[in-house]
Amino acid sequence: MTAVPLDSFRAELERLRADAESALSAATDDAALEVARVEFLGARSGRLKAIQKSLGGLAGADKPTGGKQFNEAKNAITASFEAARTRVLSSSGLQGESAIDVTLPGSPVRLGHLHPLTRTIRRVQEIMGRLGFESVDGPEVEDQWHNFEALAIPAEHPARDPLDNFYLAVARGADPLLLRSQTSTVQIRVMENRDPPLRIVSLGRVYRPDTADATHYPMFHQVEGLLVEPGITMAHLKSVLRLFASSFLGGDVHVRFRPSFFPFTEPSVEVDMEWGGRWVEMGGAGMVDPAVLEAVGYDPDTVSGFAFGLGVERIAARRYGVDDIRDFYRNDVRFLRQF
Amino acid sequence: MIISTNWLADYVQLPGTVDDLVERLLMSGLNHESTTSVGDDTAVEIEVTSNRPDCLGHVGVAREAAVLFGRPLHVPDPRPLEAGGDAAQSITVEIHSPEICPCYVARVIRGVRVGPSPHWLVDRLATVGIASVNNVVDVTNYVMLESGQPLHAFDLAKIRGGRIVVRRAVDGEAFTAINHKTYALTERMCVIADAEGPVALAGVMGGAETEITVSTTDVLLESAQFAPLPVRAAARGLVLASGSSYRFERGPDPAMVEWSSRRAAALILEIAGGTLEHGRSVAGELACAPAMIRLAAERVGEILGIDVADARQRQILTALGFVEEPGKAPHDHRWRAPTWRRDCWREIDLVEEIARIEGYGRVPEDATIPARPSELSSRERTVRRADEVLVGAGLCEAMTRSVVTESLAAMPSPWGESEPLTISPPLVRGADRLRRSLLPSLLEARGGNVAVGVADADLFEIARAYIAWPGSQSAPASPVEEPLLLAVVVGGDFAHIKGLAEGVFTGLGVSGGAGGSAGAGPRLRYRPLDLEPFVRGRAAEVMLEQAGRPAERVAVMGEVSAAAVDRFGLAGPVVAAELRLDRLEFAVASELSLVKPSDFPAVQRDVNLVVDEAVAWGDVEDAIRLTAGDVLETCRLVQVWEDADRLGAGRKSFVVALTLRSGSGTLSGEEAGRVVDAVVAECGRRVAAVLRG
Repeated sequence: MTAVPLDSFRAELERLRADAESALSAATDDAALEVARVEFLGARSGRLKAIQKSLGGLAGADKPTGGKQFNEAKNAITASFEAARTRVLSSSGLQGESAIDVTLPGSPVRLGHLHPLTRTIRRVQEIMGRLGFESVDGPEVEDQWHNFEALAIPAEHPARDPLDNFYLAVARGADPLLLRSQTSTVQIRVMENRDPPLRIVSLGRVYRPDTADATHYPMFHQVEGLLVEPGITMAHLKSVLRLFASSFLGGDVHVRFRPSFFPFTEPSVEVDMEWGGRWVEMGGAGMVDPAVLEAVGYDPDTVSGFAFGLGVERIAARRYGVDDIRDFYRNDVRFLRQF
Repeated sequence: MIISTNWLADYVQLPGTVDDLVERLLMSGLNHESTTSVGDDTAVEIEVTSNRPDCLGHVGVAREAAVLFGRPLHVPDPRPLEAGGDAAQSITVEIHSPEICPCYVARVIRGVRVGPSPHWLVDRLATVGIASVNNVVDVTNYVMLESGQPLHAFDLAKIRGGRIVVRRAVDGEAFTAINHKTYALTERMCVIADAEGPVALAGVMGGAETEITVSTTDVLLESAQFAPLPVRAAARGLVLASGSSYRFERGPDPAMVEWSSRRAAALILEIAGGTLEHGRSVAGELACAPAMIRLAAERVGEILGIDVADARQRQILTALGFVEEPGKAPHDHRWRAPTWRRDCWREIDLVEEIARIEGYGRVPEDATIPARPSELSSRERTVRRADEVLVGAGLCEAMTRSVVTESLAAMPSPWGESEPLTISPPLVRGADRLRRSLLPSLLEARGGNVAVGVADADLFEIARAYIAWPGSQSAPASPVEEPLLLAVVVGGDFAHIKGLAEGVFTGLGVSGGAGGSAGAGPRLRYRPLDLEPFVRGRAAEVMLEQAGRPAERVAVMGEVSAAAVDRFGLAGPVVAAELRLDRLEFAVASELSLVKPSDFPAVQRDVNLVVDEAVAWGDVEDAIRLTAGDVLETCRLVQVWEDADRLGAGRKSFVVALTLRSGSGTLSGEEAGRVVDAVVAECGRRVAAVLRG
């Protein structure tokens, strides 16, 4: 059998393409469109199908070129058909009785929004919850024992200075009351009432006199984790924080410890997490100080634990690109609706 | 604390680059703030935690570097030449309050020439941000920045009576400081006085009258120990914080009291000339009691989760200045802390020292902890269900301040009549009252949105309020009650806010309205309420009624009064509600009791009940539910209709759609009719309702 010359195959394709273009552009209604579709693109006896069959008649060496040309023609005709169909549908649609302008706006559904700080706290709770940490809350008006003494902050410690705390005008007997300056108070309350093993996350509002500016606010939120079990080491602390960081920030995130000082943990560290290619300070952590364990009636020789704290505003500001933490408390719905 | 690297290099050979130094210090506890070039020197600002006053001097930082880089530390041993008279003859020192000044050392240098300092001294002080004053004062500053021990130089000729007296200030006593401001002192502060009156505020600032001037020839050099509290009282109380007060508040190395005195004397002789008198005038005894600490070698691994070999532990502690004393067992070590590490007195402190120098980089980050269950508390679930309902209804969550102004606090609280609690200092300017309700803050927040052109800010907030317990409460755990509140402020009418509140009640699992069949389970009852900021007659309180407990208020709601709309700059009709989530928390904890949906067909019946206009729908609904019983699936008020012509004056009708369905069989038309008849009869009996049409 003599092979079909490539030239004549191509000429046939060109002719088909030209015929299809003119037929499709002439079609003004569904019927005409359907006739054209059957003639050119019909699956059984369409002209395109017929030419596809003649591909087999090309010489072996010509087949790849012929196949490529065939596909180009087929794609072009299919595209023309879709364009014609859209044109016919939209022009006929406007004349139809029940047709609508699909570009008109939908009936609005007003969506509400959780506050970005709540969203951040929930995310932390969710991650820590999977690691077995239960969320706990406690009073914001606190006494000296829970806010200071049980946390190894003695009476002469500068942190107890009246200028550095919001003391209430009322007291409980001789015991001054203040707005809590940290949520560790809740950890003390839980430890006083429960035995180890213990995994909790305390969270809520805390208060420290600070002039409000872009990075400070006298009222802010803390999330603090506490784990007390036999045999807990700093390796567990680092590993839990790494799991947290990897979940919170996504990917395999490393954490770094730098020595620091807090009265209620020892050793104490600052925790850095790798974020956007840099080490970013996320909070403080450490092993629960033996004095704290003793204060709540635990035996430091049989259990140990770790604690860590995160500043919610700082994390949320960084996560959402908020450059002034006062924005979190302005309650401008143009801000709130973006979350 | 700002470090000059040139200066630091006097005591220890530094690594090749400043970055190497900074990185190692950073990773061992001296956080890096900034690095700045100053001439041929480099200023490195580091953050020194409050437990490490030893690093508030160059020697202390050099000691850290020496340990970290394994290099020797060279600290000078000043031996100034003594000549002339006897210091103890020139000045006597008395300590009247040893609890605030355990030890005071005075040296006397006569015949100094006060003038400008040499360049090296001016430059070093400049690097660390201190302006040169004169050669004598500069030396005292220099030695403080070297050793961490603050010093003070007096013009001896101005000290009256040849006496130094260290005592508490007398309340109201006046003192004029070097800054030429006069302060009224309190007895919480400590002064250095001469025979007639205060010449320095101990540990904080010298006095103007005795300061070193160009005409000074004889110098009294003070080196002393002052307790933190009086120094803090003065520095904070008088807003007079200084490099000296900063260090005394943290506790300098006791061993540096004598060293610094000799060091400063030597430097003054070197650059200002003069003659150092023999000996010193001393009062008190140096407070210095280094701790003996037992360290079990295995303790390090138990805390850190890494092995640090015994020899390495010993190496680190020795380099840091701890001295090993023989212990009873081979692995039972006893260590004497160095004088400059008063923060170290327990085993755990030594563990931290070893960790800090060894580096936390060695602590693995792949340790496992056993899995444990956790679940949300009922409070947490209550909060989440409530906010799901409100977010679903299109509201935004707000967060407003817990502490409000007097005028906001003045609005009555639905939750207690006691006066607002106050705090000091105010949270922000003018705001010193703990709020008793979230509503004023939330109304203000909506007004703030109106002010920026957003009239429809529909907001809610979940937070605590603070209510002082009334005086007669029987032994309360705290004199403050902190109810957890949910406040809502939205545009609309009463039905709108009631709908939102009912949505929350339903979400929490508390039956809204007149719930279920009578008697069983908790019920909510709506009653008219007259309370600011609501319109009188268009507000309600919701009472929770539970078997065996007194009814308690769990919510208030209503249309916001024109006065409040005006006051908060609101626009259009606004409604608000406040719910006691703490009193509703029980509901999420109770078990769900599911009712299997019936497969039998429902029967619809509408009834039109004509009643007197004073009759409340709630009473009609109660009657219907009570009478219809279990076959009542829904009872829906379709319309309230008033028409004097057709119903008669003072009459109204409730059009009610009842859906009746039985769980045990198809309800016949006759059965449905009997139920409706019974309902109508009961409504007639209870509220004199008449069936219309």
